[in-house]
Order: sequence, then C-alpha cells, then structure tokens
Amino acid sequence: MTDTAVPARDRATATTSSAASPAAPHRRSRRDEGPFQARRRRLFWPFVAVPLVLYLVFFLGPTLASFWISLHAWDGIGEMKFRGLGNYEVLLGDEVFRGAFANTLIILVGVGLAVFVASFALAMVLRELAGRKFARAVLFFPNIIAPIVLSVLWGFIFQNDGLLDSALQGIGISDGPNWLGDHLFFVILLGLAWVNTGFYVTIIMAGVDRIPPYLYEDCKLAGANAFQRFWHVTLPLTWDVVATSAILWTISSLKIFEFLYAFGGTTNDMPPTGVWNSALFIYGQTFGGRTPPYLFGYASAAAVVTLLFLIVLVFLFRRVLRREVIEF
Amino acid sequence: MPTTTERPTTSTPTQEDEHQRRRGILRPGGRRPGAGRSDRGRGRRIAHTLVWLLVGFNLFALGWMIVTSVREHRSIFRSPWSLPGRPQLENYLDAWTTGNFGPAAVNTVLLVGAASVTIVLISAPAAYALSRIPGRMSDSLSVLFALGIGVPAQVIIVPLFVIAQEMALVNSLPGLYVLYVALSLPFTVFLLTGFFRSLPGSLEEAAALDGASPFRTFWQIMLPLGRSGLITALALNAVGLWNETFLALVFVTGNENQTLSLALLGFLAKQQYSGADYGALFAGVCIIVLPMVALYVWLGRRIIEGLTLGADK
Repeated sequence: MTDTAVPARDRATATTSSAASPAAPHRRSRRDEGPFQARRRRLFWPFVAVPLVLYLVFFLGPTLASFWISLHAWDGIGEMKFRGLGNYEVLLGDEVFRGAFANTLIILVGVGLAVFVASFALAMVLRELAGRKFARAVLFFPNIIAPIVLSVLWGFIFQNDGLLDSALQGIGISDGPNWLGDHLFFVILLGLAWVNTGFYVTIIMAGVDRIPPYLYEDCKLAGANAFQRFWHVTLPLTWDVVATSAILWTISSLKIFEFLYAFGGTTNDMPPTGVWNSALFIYGQTFGGRTPPYLFGYASAAAVVTLLFLIVLVFLFRRVLRREVIEF
Repeated sequence: MPTTTERPTTSTPTQEDEHQRRRGILRPGGRRPGAGRSDRGRGRRIAHTLVWLLVGFNLFALGWMIVTSVREHRSIFRSPWSLPGRPQLENYLDAWTTGNFGPAAVNTVLLVGAASVTIVLISAPAAYALSRIPGRMSDSLSVLFALGIGVPAQVIIVPLFVIAQEMALVNSLPGLYVLYVALSLPFTVFLLTGFFRSLPGSLEEAAALDGASPFRTFWQIMLPLGRSGLITALALNAVGLWNETFLALVFVTGNENQTLSLALLGFLAKQQYSGADYGALFAGVCIIVLPMVALYVWLGRRIIEGLTLGADK
C-alpha cells in the first residue's frame, strides 16, 4: 500500500514469520512430486516475476538507497557530495527534528495507550451489547474516510466559533480555550485516538469473541468485578491479539502523515513545526513548503533513523510480548 | 447531537425488588438470585450509554458534513449547528468547477479503478504461486513481500522520487498509477497469499486428474474459488488509493493532474487568500466521502475483515 491513507493496510506485517511457516510441514521433496506438481512448478517464476520486479525496483532498491543517500549532501539534481555521518550529526542537534521525533514518540506511546484502553473497554461492552454489529461498523467507519477529510472535520469542531465553541456557548461558557491556537497538538492526539480506536476495537473484539462464554459465567458465579474479569480472563486469553496489535500500531503510528498534515497544511504550506512528526519532517526537508528545500541527503538520514527505530521497536515488541505469551 | 435516554437509576432497583417480593421471586433472605449486582447493572447502563454516544458522534459527524455541504457560508459561520433553510446545491457546482473537484474526481476514478484492477491482476498469480507451489523460494519471497508492508512510504520517498524522475513518472497520472500499483503490492500479495492458502486443495487435484493444465487449473478453478478474496483485495485497494494523499502530494504538481485529496488541499490553500467558503468546502468533502460511504455500506463486512486480517490469527 501506498502509505498512511488507510492506516490499516500494514496490519499484516506483524504476522510475517508465521505467514511463511504453514507451508513447511506438508512440503514434499521434489522427487515424489507428481507430473502435475512438476508442471505447476514451472508456473512459479512467470507468476511471481512482475510483482517481484516492481517490488525490487520500488521497495527494496529505494530502502537500500536511503542508507546510501543519507551519507551525502544532495539536492537530487547536482553532484552527490560524500559527507559520511555528517548528516546524522546535524540531525541529532536539530531542534526541529528532535521535536518531531518527540512528537512521534508521544503519538506512539500516548495515543497508543489511550487507544488500547479505550478499545478494550469498548470491546468488553460491545461483547454483550444489542446491536453490536451495527455499533462496530459505525465505530470502524472513520477508517475508510480520507485522513485529510477527518482532519478538516476535526479542525472545524475545535476552531474558533466552531462546533465545540458554539455548543459551549449554548450552555453558557463563552470563553472556552483557544483549542487550535494553544492546544493544537493535544487536539490532534485526541483526533488520532478517535480514528484508531475504531480499528483496534474491531481487532480486539475478534479476539474477545473467541473466549468461551462459560468463563464469564464462572466469573459471575465467583462474583468477579469488571476489572477482575478483564485481568484474569480477557487479557490472558487475547494476549496474542494484543501483541500483534501493539506491533501493528507501532508500524502504523510511524506512518501517520496526512491527519497531521491537513492541520494547517495545504498544497502550498506545511503545518507549524510544533506538530510535526518524523514523517512530516522528511517531507518538510524535501518537497514541502512554498520553497521546497530538497535536502535529499539530510531527509534520508531522518528516514534511516525512523526505519531503524521502527525495526528496533518491532523486534523488541516481538521479544517481550512473545515471552509473556508462554507464561500464560 | 443525538440524545441518549438515561433512565433514572436510583429508584428502579427497590421498585423491582418490591415487585419480585410480591411475586415471590425474592427469597426471604432478601437476596435475588444473582443479587448485589444492581451496581453492576448501573455501570453497564453507563457503559452502554457511552458506547452509543460514541456511535452517535460518528453518525453525527457524517450527517453534519452532508448537511453543511448544502448550506450557505455565512449561515454556517453564524450557527454551525443549524439545519439548512433552502438546500444550496450550488455549493456542489462551485466545488466541482471553481474548486477543481470535477476534473480531480475524473482523474481519481480512472486512476483508482485502473490501479486497483492492475494490482489484483498481478498479485493474484503471485499469491497463488507463493501459497500453492511449496518450496524454500516461496517461503522467503512471502516474507520479503510481508516486510514491505512495514516500510513507511516517507522512508523511501527520496529514492522513489529520484527513480520516478529517471523514468519520467513525475507529475503524470500514468506515473502515479505505476507508483500506486508498485506500492500496494506487498499488502495485496500478503492478503491473497493467506486467502489462497485457506482454499481446499481437493478441487485442484481433481482438475489435475482430469488432465487440466496447471495454468488452466489456476484460471478456471482457483481464481473463481478465490473470488471473495479478490473482491476484498479490490475493495481495500480502492479505498486506500481513493484516500491516498502523500504520494499524490509529492508526485503531482500541476492542477490538471490533481486527485481528489489534492483538490481538497488546494481548496484549503485557496481559502487563505480568497476567503473561506465552508459550504463549497464541505461539498468537496462530500464528493470525496460519499463514494466511500456507499462502498462501505455495500462491502462493509469484507472491508472490515480484510483490513483487520492478520491481527486475528
């Protein structure tokens, strides 16, 4: 998929390695294959060739090239000048990048926690709700809407004399805070939580649905309260779903671009640097703004830092979360 | 805002107890079967109310966008909550012509249609090969494709731009089409690989016994069997590309090649110097949103299942 448009499209990566393994057990050695299998095998390369070539040219090549370009000063047209790790040195001292990276972390951790708490709470309630299918479909709905549209709508709710202000005035509060002026990033975080909760509630519901109902009956008999039910039944039994979701969120939170961008961003302008994340930083150093800086080497260094950060996080998560699973 | 009726909770339990006492349900000890749960009952009511409030908010947001798209700018500004007097369908005309949403809509329909179909056409054989032709190669290629799903577009945007420039793919719709196809492959291949793997092998074997060639088996047996997976893949790519903004923003510069999301961003830019027109703005927003709502109503279950697949394993 192309990007953050539907944050969901990368859901799959988390199961990467398990995806490959199912084929293994019933693999037969080539010698005892029938003629059909042998002829089918000849289809392999013709079938795979086109996507593979496109993948190598537009994915793998560029990913590796990012590392190379990040070692140079380059505007994309002129000569590449080798700078070694110079770009990285400047990058780590760059206030804007540090702010953007901090924002990325705040989104990853802050929004992530909010989304997970809300999703679990909602999944627990939806489990026994009449009309749950409908509720789930409506909660999921923001995920199929363009993030820039959601961002325009969200901005309109919070802008001066927008929906929230005039609602507050309706109940007699005339001097509400200047939401977009003073609390822009918080408003954005809230919006991200709103959009993503609909997605993760769907995943977690699927996990919760597999828990046999008699376990909750047992809880009832034992007089367990809502938190105890969650802690002793729901969480342990949905742990694999939680672990996968955590990785999915890590990946998709780093991809967030458009929802942030449309807060002040247009075809000409970038939003204020205070709300940038690392994705906006890369865009801002290359193609963004009225006079795009085209700092290809510098932006590539930021891209490499982002990618390495992502790889480290995903490995850590797989490690930590998998070990927990064995305990249960 | 839709109102949810909150029932008065204080008196209900005792009244209920009274009724049940009379009907002899309440035992002399005073505890109903499963009693001591009136608190939980109240908690549950509050929880249900909150869920429906959230659901109501989403529905309200959609309804509000549609209503506002047929209102006049000054009246939206004065009172954003009101309903329209006379519906201003001119807003759509404004958005379509002066807002550039018209040409952008045509571009987007063509681009998204062509790209989604191409993606599925070239991903399906690959996914079939990766899932049904066992071997070390298919295992490692499956992993390779899946890894691509995790690479954020902004991480590879610089080299991608350089390549696109070399191939004259910048600022052209065919160029964007190639990029859309290429960058959507990892997800689609992954999705369809999982899907083909779940199909029963018996029909394929039966076809083989009947002497069908492997290609014919794929074309006439497996593809029709996998129809539902192909439709899901098609729908997901259509939604994703319809809403795509980042690549379009980088690779399209001219007005004539704009997609719908660029038209919206362009409209926001124009508002900064020629004054705001919320009516036309939200008309444009509806042009982007309503086709997706229709698709969601039609194929919602598939879209939800397709997007959340992989996590539910």
